[in-house]
Amino acid sequence: MQKKKAAKQTGRAKTPEAIFLNQLAESQSARYRAAKGIGSLFVVALVVQAWAFAHVFAELALHQSFSMLFLFLGLSALWLRAFLSFLRERVCTSASRHIRYDLRKKLLSHLTKLGPARSRIDEDAALSTRVYEQVDALDDFFSRYKPQVFMVVLIPCAILLSVAPISWIALGVFITTAPLVIVFMIFVGHKAAQANRRQFNVLAMLSNQFMDLSVGLAELKRLGKTQQAKSRLSDSSGEYQRTTMNVLYLAFLSTATLELFASLSIAMIALYLGLGLLESLPWQVGESPVPLAQAMFLLLLAPEFYLPLRQLGNDYHAKQKAEAATTDLMAIINTEIAIVRSSNLKEENTSRDNALICFENLSWQESGRQRLAAITGSIYEGERVWLSGESGIGKSSLLYLLLGFDAAYQGQLSVKGRHLSELLTCPQTLSKWRRSLAWLPQTPEWVNGSIRRNLLLGITPPTELAIEDALLKSQCDEFIKPLPDGLDTALTEIGTGLSGGQMQRLSIARALLSGAEVWLLDEPCSGLDQETAQSVLATLEQASKGKTVLVVSHDTHPIYWADKHWSLTQGGLYEEDKQAIA
Amino acid sequence: MKKTNKLSLKSLIFSNLWGFMVPVFLGLVASLAGVALLGVSGWFISAAGLATALGAHLSFNYLTPGAIVRGLAIFRTAGRYGEQVSAHNHLLGLLRTLRLWVWDRRVEQDATNLQQQSKGDLLQRLVNDLDMIIRWPLVVFLPWLYALLSYVAMAVFAYFLQADLLYPIAVCGFFHLLIIPYLAGHYARQAVHIGQVLGVYRRSRFVSVFSALITLTIRGHWQEYAQRLGYLDEKQKIKEAAIQNAVSAGRLGAYCVTIMLLVVSFYVLAFFDSESQRWSLVEGVKGTWVVGFVLAVLALNELVLPLAQAFVAQGQSQVGLHRLNQLQTSCTSSTAKTAHDDFKVHQLSFKQWHGFHAVNGMGNKPLDLDIYLGDRLWICGSSGSGKSTLLAAMAGDCLSKGEVFVNGDKCDLFGNETYQKQVSYLPQSPYVFQQSVAANLRLGKEDATEDELWEVLEAVALAEWARALPNGLATLLSFQGRDLSGGQRKRLVLARLLLRNVPVLLLDEPFDGLDTASIRCISHALQHDFRPNILVLVSHVSSSLGDSAKKIEL
Repeated sequence: MQKKKAAKQTGRAKTPEAIFLNQLAESQSARYRAAKGIGSLFVVALVVQAWAFAHVFAELALHQSFSMLFLFLGLSALWLRAFLSFLRERVCTSASRHIRYDLRKKLLSHLTKLGPARSRIDEDAALSTRVYEQVDALDDFFSRYKPQVFMVVLIPCAILLSVAPISWIALGVFITTAPLVIVFMIFVGHKAAQANRRQFNVLAMLSNQFMDLSVGLAELKRLGKTQQAKSRLSDSSGEYQRTTMNVLYLAFLSTATLELFASLSIAMIALYLGLGLLESLPWQVGESPVPLAQAMFLLLLAPEFYLPLRQLGNDYHAKQKAEAATTDLMAIINTEIAIVRSSNLKEENTSRDNALICFENLSWQESGRQRLAAITGSIYEGERVWLSGESGIGKSSLLYLLLGFDAAYQGQLSVKGRHLSELLTCPQTLSKWRRSLAWLPQTPEWVNGSIRRNLLLGITPPTELAIEDALLKSQCDEFIKPLPDGLDTALTEIGTGLSGGQMQRLSIARALLSGAEVWLLDEPCSGLDQETAQSVLATLEQASKGKTVLVVSHDTHPIYWADKHWSLTQGGLYEEDKQAIA
Repeated sequence: MKKTNKLSLKSLIFSNLWGFMVPVFLGLVASLAGVALLGVSGWFISAAGLATALGAHLSFNYLTPGAIVRGLAIFRTAGRYGEQVSAHNHLLGLLRTLRLWVWDRRVEQDATNLQQQSKGDLLQRLVNDLDMIIRWPLVVFLPWLYALLSYVAMAVFAYFLQADLLYPIAVCGFFHLLIIPYLAGHYARQAVHIGQVLGVYRRSRFVSVFSALITLTIRGHWQEYAQRLGYLDEKQKIKEAAIQNAVSAGRLGAYCVTIMLLVVSFYVLAFFDSESQRWSLVEGVKGTWVVGFVLAVLALNELVLPLAQAFVAQGQSQVGLHRLNQLQTSCTSSTAKTAHDDFKVHQLSFKQWHGFHAVNGMGNKPLDLDIYLGDRLWICGSSGSGKSTLLAAMAGDCLSKGEVFVNGDKCDLFGNETYQKQVSYLPQSPYVFQQSVAANLRLGKEDATEDELWEVLEAVALAEWARALPNGLATLLSFQGRDLSGGQRKRLVLARLLLRNVPVLLLDEPFDGLDTASIRCISHALQHDFRPNILVLVSHVSSSLGDSAKKIEL
């Protein structure tokens, strides 16, 4: 919202994307300033080169000879121009690199902070596309478009200045055509930009369709519909080709107009100069307005006058691409996790009795959607609680709150007698709280690497004895022992080779090794068959003795050994009869 | 049966040669007109200046050169416009051809390969590769061709000016058109290649580390892992800098060659006149022509500059092309299997039969099984006993060993289309297309009426959900059905299969993640209105459907 306000204040309708891009560019303002400096020198070299060459040419034409000094000056200026644009390119690309890699770091750390909330934006594979490909899509904007905007102003102005003392008519041609070019760029270019954007969207849609049908190809084959899908692909790309071409005729017309203006003005200036030299201008018969050397100078500058404008037109799609990518990137940055709570809550430091975890009227609403209905309850140390309820009722959300990944809840949530929001404000207390937790989700979390590495993920390596003990308690030794490489067997992120039950057991072993006091389990039995689920739960019962446990599980997998059974509904939390468990 | 349908950069050009010739021709006209525009203007002005100086200005024919200059300007513009339009038209056509090519290659694949390819981000990369490759003719080939032909045109002009100029032009052309693009491309190719490998590694690393994000965070060790990710990024940054430097250096090199060409040309065309202490042109060379020549060289320089970048882009295209060609696994599947089209499956018998995965050979233990018309089977067993593999093999989606008899005839199920027409198979993770609910369902039966759609939705207990959708059956579903829960996705696909109404129905864990009421509803439908001739059910959830079926323990 603030950004929108800022845009209104400047009085120009800037999209949030454009503002975001500008902010990013600010961080490299030193490099962009250097690029501007180099650009200014470049313009000087450009004018000097034209001037020196003009003299050489005039002498060549008139006297069949030339002065080495001017030729040397001209060629040196040409080389300087090349060298300066080399430097400028390096500075601009390195600015773009720094912006992009810094942005990527920022995105990564933001995603980390979001924790499980990142799934609200997209799944991990798609997020990786945003963090890598989409960030790289900004390259052309920062390395080419952005610095070019400055050159577009500088070069024509410099050329106008150097033309002014020589010929008022040439100056007039430049001055009248330049606004025409610009006006045309705005009028046609605006239309073209709209068309361009639409085309961009349609292209993305088409890519999407191709992706969608390709991923589902196995299903199409089973249904015997591959031919139908192919003709659909073919039709839509054919149709797309036709409509896009209609759009492109117009879009390219703007570039063509620019080109025509540039070409015709060069031709006009050439003709004017030529006729002037022949002393045959209708209004100046018998005298030459511009001597040959200066005519040459004008002719050499003419194409340079329009070149930056044309380049900007060509790079315009870079802006489009960047803005489209920015929309995706801003979706990540703007997904906030609220760590804001006023301190007035501190007063009533109510930890009911001495419960370890305590909710009072705790609810969680997010962008109008109720993620968790208001609940009240408390868990004491060493208590094992089974939480059940329909899917989507907020069981997992409650666990995420406890993990400290979000604090935008209403009501009160206190752990160890302190408000969770209070814990979240201080990194030390937060990490202390988190270290006392063990997290066992539906699909256990794994990284690429050996079983050992995964077991010891993020903990200080315990003794071999402790590991063996944990493996024994979690009954992992049964399947790890027969493995030829034992604990050093590799796991990929999907954990191929081990069954779901075995993965859950490893998860339990990991929880044991971490020494965490509070275990949070999110449907540990989903995806397991009845028998495996029973035996995993039995292991869990043994392993989790003495720990504080909150386990989310469907009715289909009842936790008989739990001390309490909570059932979560739209109306709140109800403690079920203990008899119902047993 | 092997097809050598390999894709190469050359075949890209020849795929629609005539379509390609149009932009080539127009672009050529534009490029030559651009070079000539500067050259002729320069000549015209200097000649005009000379004529006046000699007092011959009144007899100087300025109309023809004037017309030529204007004509060239128009040619240049029209040529550019025509080139852009026709090149894009060509490019879009190419995109279509290539997509269909990839599609065909993928359709040819058998089910196992297909599954392999659909995993992860491989497909996404393929799509990106396609977008990259189609740009090759436009970004790499055409600019090179224009530069080459402009060089030729200039050489012809130089020949008439002073034949000795041909040598420096040939040498510089060699550098401009071959050496510099080659060096830039060569130097960058390695970086492009390493960069791409790094990119893939970095991405899998990202997915791997992020999939363990919560564990790493609560253990307080996320920092180290994030750092390693950052380290990979840093390496990528260095490679990227190398590529960009290759491009910049290539451009600087091209400039230097142009300057050398100018220096040598002047040296060839002029000599030091010790009398006047000036450099004079050699006998027979007109100063006005020299001016035109120098200007043309400068215009040519503009055409040569983009080449270094173009050849870096070529490296990227080649990597993409290589990946696309990997799609072509030798497919040796013979299509003709069981004959006559109108057969209906009424009996299946398996002898010492087991299905297995190509990757690791895991599957079920060999079994003997006879299934007759009207049979209902419930396959259960502990996890890892190969229930799903067995079912997939029954559906012809997975490799198998042993003998199968369909209606008493021995045949092979894997990839057997005639057989698969008789079978509906609900896999463990079914696929929902990014289309409307109705379109998704109609994949089962193209001409299904609205009533029929509602009927199957009722049967799978989704009707209530569908009625609550903003646009009813026309509601567009998101990519891969992401806005649906796992249970909803399964039921939607099941509804699609029910519409198909074929004799054999194979269901893999249809009740996973469903509440008891929905399970009851689906069981009822499968026992009454939508009862298939043969039903094989794999499930670890008990249901009335399972209870009424013959139970087989694996």
